[in-house]
Amino acid sequence: MEVFVALTISVLFAIGVFQLLRRNLIRSAIGMAIVSNAINLFLLAAGAYRGEVAAYANQVGQRSDALPQALILTAIVISMGGFAVVLSMLYVLSVRYKTSDSDEVKGLTH
Amino acid sequence: MNDALVIPLLICAVGTMLAGLFVATALGARISTRAMGWLLAIVPAIAFGALIAQSPLVLAGQTLSWSIAWIPSLGLRFSLWLDGLSLLFGLLVSGIGMLVVLYAGYYFAPKHADDAHGEDGKSHPPASQDADARFFFYILLFMTSMLGLVLAGDVITLFVFWEGTSITSFLLVAYKSKDEDARRGAFRALFITGGGGVALLAGLIFASSIAGSTSFADIVQQGDVLRASELYPVMFALIALGALTKSAQAPAHFWLPGAMSAPAPASAYLHSATMVKAGVYLLARLHPAIGLTDLWFWTLSLVGLATMLIGAYVGFKQNDLKALLAYSTVSQLGVLVMLIGQDTEIAFKALVISVLAHALYKSALFLVTGIVDHESGTRDLRQLGGIWRAMPATFGVALIAALSMAGLPPLFGFLAKETLLATATHPNVPPIVDVIFPAAAVAAGALILAQAGLIVFEAFLGKPKAELHPHEAPPPMWIAPAIPAVVSLAVGLLPEPEALATLLARAAAASYGAPVKVSLALWTGISVPLVLSAVAVTIGAITIALRGRLRPLFTRLSGALSLEPLYTGALKAIDGLAWLVTRVQNGKLRLYLAIMLISGGVIVVTIGRLSVPIVAPADFGMRPELAALRVFLLLVVGIAALASVRLRRDLFAILALTASGLSIAVLMMLEPAPDIALVQVVVETLTMVVLVLVLTRVPREQRERAFEFTFRQTRPGLIRDVLIALGSGAVMFAIVMTALGTRPRESQVTPYYEQNAKPLTGANDIVGAIVIDFRGFDTLVEISVFAAAGLAIYTLLRYASRKAGDRDDDIPVLDERMLPFRGIAGPLTSPFVQALARLILPLTLLLAATHVLYGHDQPGDGFTAGVIISLGLATWYVVFGYAETKRRLAWLQPSLFIGAGLLLAIGSAVAAAIIGGSFFSPVDFGKLMGLGFLPRGVYFSTATFYELAICLTVTGGAVLMLDTLGHPKDSDAETTRQMDEIAALRRRGEVTLGEAPASDGEGQQLPAEDKRPEVLERES
Repeated sequence: MEVFVALTISVLFAIGVFQLLRRNLIRSAIGMAIVSNAINLFLLAAGAYRGEVAAYANQVGQRSDALPQALILTAIVISMGGFAVVLSMLYVLSVRYKTSDSDEVKGLTH
Repeated sequence: MNDALVIPLLICAVGTMLAGLFVATALGARISTRAMGWLLAIVPAIAFGALIAQSPLVLAGQTLSWSIAWIPSLGLRFSLWLDGLSLLFGLLVSGIGMLVVLYAGYYFAPKHADDAHGEDGKSHPPASQDADARFFFYILLFMTSMLGLVLAGDVITLFVFWEGTSITSFLLVAYKSKDEDARRGAFRALFITGGGGVALLAGLIFASSIAGSTSFADIVQQGDVLRASELYPVMFALIALGALTKSAQAPAHFWLPGAMSAPAPASAYLHSATMVKAGVYLLARLHPAIGLTDLWFWTLSLVGLATMLIGAYVGFKQNDLKALLAYSTVSQLGVLVMLIGQDTEIAFKALVISVLAHALYKSALFLVTGIVDHESGTRDLRQLGGIWRAMPATFGVALIAALSMAGLPPLFGFLAKETLLATATHPNVPPIVDVIFPAAAVAAGALILAQAGLIVFEAFLGKPKAELHPHEAPPPMWIAPAIPAVVSLAVGLLPEPEALATLLARAAAASYGAPVKVSLALWTGISVPLVLSAVAVTIGAITIALRGRLRPLFTRLSGALSLEPLYTGALKAIDGLAWLVTRVQNGKLRLYLAIMLISGGVIVVTIGRLSVPIVAPADFGMRPELAALRVFLLLVVGIAALASVRLRRDLFAILALTASGLSIAVLMMLEPAPDIALVQVVVETLTMVVLVLVLTRVPREQRERAFEFTFRQTRPGLIRDVLIALGSGAVMFAIVMTALGTRPRESQVTPYYEQNAKPLTGANDIVGAIVIDFRGFDTLVEISVFAAAGLAIYTLLRYASRKAGDRDDDIPVLDERMLPFRGIAGPLTSPFVQALARLILPLTLLLAATHVLYGHDQPGDGFTAGVIISLGLATWYVVFGYAETKRRLAWLQPSLFIGAGLLLAIGSAVAAAIIGGSFFSPVDFGKLMGLGFLPRGVYFSTATFYELAICLTVTGGAVLMLDTLGHPKDSDAETTRQMDEIAALRRRGEVTLGEAPASDGEGQQLPAEDKRPEVLERES
């Protein structure tokens, strides 16, 4: 199972990187979101315990690891914020350069 | 420990802040520059007084010290100490600082209208008021650094202040920032002293690691260990490099004349009395620790000797008064460095006397030069002449200072020269140089005397020039240089001033490492030095007499021995390198990304010690149906992501991305991790909404072109990208396998949280407890970042993107077919959808409320609540359109939400700190206030308020994003027009700053009102 999780994470990462390398900036943005999903999945998989019940104090049994979950929570929020900023930059570029081709976006002296 | 030691530094820091206040606020415009000078001169005066108050203890032979822990984990302390040497320099820094600040008030004051010589704009100080306040700010900042430098009791403390002086002197030299020469001079000074600073840091770290302590008190004790160390030459070279560049020693002396573009008060302060002596101070300070070796003797003697001669020689041919003074300063600094190199008692006596004498006469002369420049409009010797009639008081001051500079009795400078000659002729001087030293000293002495003569004869005496209209300066302006000049006279004339002699003796002893006797008697009988002195005076007098013939000769025999070509060469080389590098960087972002990914991968693989276990990591037991579900979901995650690559329409790609993200949410649910699963669901949805919003903003033809280059990539390009992606994936796989294979099966941290969540925070939800309580501060930063992201988007799209003169018709007009439900502008959405939207918003609010109230015990938290509300609002934007939503939901003020949220978070944390003892400590406010009627499971605790605060902030941030990205651009043009109108009104003074609708709030509602009748029409 863990090999399978690792495979999925790396496939996600590879797809994200591939998307990031597209000339189409919208695809690059999608790639960024995929990469952050891959990382979140990695964090989740890195938990020390395989939980049977959720991490609640009143639950009986092996609880899932709460620490990576807290980290993921923060990561999701921050990447959402960052992602939105990237998108707005994409938008500004589209207005200023009349293109969403990253190769045409150079020399910010426009 | 002596707490009074902090006073001088503290008062300087306070003064700097005060001066900063004059710069930053309107306060500066209300106070005249002269008043500012008087007011701020109090600061160094207090520092001076505080040092004087300490002086009896120091004169009695004590060393005062004070320190606090700074970075305890590195063993660093911020420490100060005061011995004779520090006291001497500290008094110079604060005393001359006082005069300079006072003087600057008059120097920078607006000139009188009757001044007729306003032609040459370049040499005039700027008249603008805030520029003057800026000068005071810089000079006090410098004073703080300099005082810290000489009072530092620890090498790191010293270094921090050392760098402070470099940076502040940069600001001062580049003060006339519109002048290219000033900028170049400032950069050169910073480049050289800053580069020396780096070497110094390394040297000091060597020294302190060999001595086992960063404190000067310990390092000085470890002299034998330091000298015996095999690293001694390296350490010495590094420290000497730092100290000698700072003190403008040959061959790096050329920055000092270049730095003369600083305003006169700054030059008087930095380039005569204080900063350039920092290197001398450091060498004197470290002499007991790393001095007394052959390396030390030869390096310092020869460098000092060369500098002394170069400065004296080059200075004599200068026409600019300030350049002349700069070179004579270089020469004098050479003398000081040479003296530190000697291992004789008399050398250190000469050192302290020269330091004091030079600081007194040179600062006076620099200030006088400022007066000459200020009151006659030039400081060029060829244009000056005969101005003593117009400015007799200034001339008097200049004469006394010049006599001291020339080393003539009965001035203090005479004593300095005598002791220098006595050192040069001391029997301890090695035989190889026992002729060179005295000869050089005599030659330099003669030339310096000639330089002093130039000032007196060429500038003040001689034939008056018709085109000059000099004035006498206002009294405080010439009194400022008169004080040091008179002191140099008084020290010579008065009978032995006991306290001063003791101070100098203490300073010399601190540097020499053994007691030094200092007497200030001028007449000690006929001796070799006196004879040599007479020789020097004679030669100097002849040089002055023949100046008309000698100076052109000197100019022809240009002996500008310096590193300057090397410096310009280095700069050229850097430029060339930059050119080369930017050839490689072709501006294609994808290439950069690819290079970063490849090198990142290479680094990870080579040094990461990755170990992909051959045997798969041990599996946990898991029920087979759950395992199957998991595998299925993982497949969905991967396939959906892959689909986002293959799908041709961007919208479908976005949907595929969302599908992938939502499957991850289900995976999280299986973990089981309900909290993050919830967040993942709402965030994934919000991401989709924002992405689609942006997508609709990109014009159709752009997207069609994008389609072309996305799917018609050349084969080699595609193969390259696939290879990079696969490579990254492989590295990632190795990382994940290594991590999963080697991770501990028992967490160090989680059990603590599990055991303490309930007892310490009252939370049932352990993840919530970690986020809200254990790592509450982290979360505060996190929501601030989120809010900042919203604000950044707002700023970027509303203002930054249109700065470059974009016209409104540049902005893509929405393709209405893309978003048919765009409410007002497009066709009306169906009543059913509208009713649904109306229903959804209260529901989301309710849902959010339960999340906030029960977040501590149940899945969900403030963040989820905020995103849920935003999603509800997003529905409104979609259904009713932008303007209509704004009109109907007048309470929706995102910036207000952000502010209120952050304030609430900090406020409740502070309240908790007061009641519970620590920031964010869990306090049940409801219980404290006796609110017993609250339903079970509902608390008014720190956590509840914090959840509410998070919810508010996140709603604000997310709404700001939606708001900006969903803002219809056609009405944006309207907003711009309104802003322009407001600006025009403001210019005419009809609207004041306070009442103008500066923010989006009102600006955006106006278009809404414009269009409202239309809407009503349609609705009916």
